[in-house]
Amino acid sequence: MTQARRAKAKRGSALAVLLALACATPVFAHHSFSAEFDGDKPVRLVGKITKVEFQNPHSYFYLDVLRKDGTVVNWACEGGGPGALSQHGWKKGDVKVGDTLVVDGYLARDGSHLVDARRVTLPDGRSIYGGTPGDGGPGDGQAGPPR
Amino acid sequence: MSRGRSTANLVSRASGVAAALLIAAGALAQPAPPHAKSVEVEGDGATLQGTEPTGPARAAPRDAAGHPDLTGYWKPLREPGKPGGNIGKDLPGFKLPLTPAGEAALKHNRTETIDPEALCILGGIPRHDASGLPFEVLQTPRRIAFLYLYSTHRFIPVDGRKHEPDPEPRFFGNPVGEWQGDTLIIDTVGFKDEKIWLDENADPQSDAMHAVERWTRPDAAHIHLELLVDDKKFYTRPFTFSRTWVLGELGEGLTEYSCAENNVDAKHIGPGPGAIGADGNRGADIPKRLPDNPPPPEFYETPKR
Repeated sequence: MTQARRAKAKRGSALAVLLALACATPVFAHHSFSAEFDGDKPVRLVGKITKVEFQNPHSYFYLDVLRKDGTVVNWACEGGGPGALSQHGWKKGDVKVGDTLVVDGYLARDGSHLVDARRVTLPDGRSIYGGTPGDGGPGDGQAGPPR
Repeated sequence: MSRGRSTANLVSRASGVAAALLIAAGALAQPAPPHAKSVEVEGDGATLQGTEPTGPARAAPRDAAGHPDLTGYWKPLREPGKPGGNIGKDLPGFKLPLTPAGEAALKHNRTETIDPEALCILGGIPRHDASGLPFEVLQTPRRIAFLYLYSTHRFIPVDGRKHEPDPEPRFFGNPVGEWQGDTLIIDTVGFKDEKIWLDENADPQSDAMHAVERWTRPDAAHIHLELLVDDKKFYTRPFTFSRTWVLGELGEGLTEYSCAENNVDAKHIGPGPGAIGADGNRGADIPKRLPDNPPPPEFYETPKR
C-alpha cells in the first residue's frame, strides 16, 4: 500500500469511528426532541432579550423579534438547564435584558412562539450549544455549537 | 442508683456517642477533591456518561455486616449495538412479548399520552433502571436509598419485612430488599395503574407488574443489575434486562433539580416518544444537522390571501 493510500485508509477509519460515535449519541433527555419541536423547521431568530430564566428543567430566554412588516413578536427560546449551559460556557451573567442574541433552532410543533435554542450566538460573539443534552438533536454530545 | 453509677453510665453513653461520631466521621473522611463536582441536570452529556476505568480492578468495599457496599454515584455505559432507554434491549429484535392488552396500551402511550417525566411525574422503575442517566446509592444496614436525577428517590427496606398484603400503589412500587450472599435482591410489587411509561420508548407497565432486581458490585468500579419483569396484564411472559454502570469520579454526585420549577414546555409537548428507529432508539425523526443559516420564522407562514 502506498503512503497516500495508507493515509486515505487511516482518514477513512477515523471517519468511521466519528460516524459510529455520532450514531451512538444517547437519547435520555427530560423529554424527546420531536415530541415538542419540528425537525423539518429550522429557524433563526435575531432579537433583543426581554427576560432570562436560568432554571430547571430548561432555561428560557425571551426575545423581541422584529418582523418584516414592522411588528414585534416575543419568542420563547428553550435551552438546556443551568448546569448544561454553564458547562458549555454560557454563565448566567453573560447576557442581560436588552442584549441582542442570534438563536438558531427549531420551531415548536404546536405553532406557538417557541423555539429550541440549539445554537446561540452570545453578545460577545461566542457561538455555543444551547440545546438540551441527551435529546439527540444536532450538536448533542459534540464539542462546540451544532453544525 | 448511686450518683457514681449514674455518672459512670453517663460517661459510658457519652463514650458510645463519641465512638459513633468517630465512626461516622471516619465514614465521611473520604478526602474531597479540590473541585468537587455535582451534576446539575441536565449537565453536559459527556459528564452524564461513564467510561470504563483503566488499571487493575479493586475489590468492592463491604459494610460492617460484610455485604458489598453499593454506595456510590453510578454512571451509565453504552452497549455497542444495544439501544438506550429501551427495556427490550436484550431481547431478539428488541421486541417485547406484548399481550393484546399490552399492544393497546403501547399504542395508547405512543399516541395519546405525554411523557410522564416531562410532566414531572415520577419515572419509577423499571424506567430508571433503563435510563441513560446516572444515579446514586447510599447504603445503610437496614435501609438503602436509590437517588435519581430529577430529584426523585426510592428507599429499600432491608430488615426482613415481607410485602404488605394490599400495598398502596406507588410509582416506584413497594420494594422489599434482602441480601442473598453478595447479591441485593429488591422485590417490588404494588405499582401505579398504567400511569407511567416502562422506559423512554413508552412501553407500557401495569399495576400487575412484579419486578425483581438482583444488584451486585463485582468490583469497586462497577455495579450490575439483573432485572426480571413479570407483568401478566401486558406481557405474555417474564423478560430480563441486564445492565452495568461504572463508578463516577471522586466528588461527583447528584444535586438539586426541580422539575416543576419552570416547566414551561409541559403545555407544548405532544404525545409519545417520537419515532423509534430499527436500532431500538427513540429519536429516529430527529434531524442530524442544523443548517448554517436557517430562515426566519416568516418563511414557514402561509401567505394570506
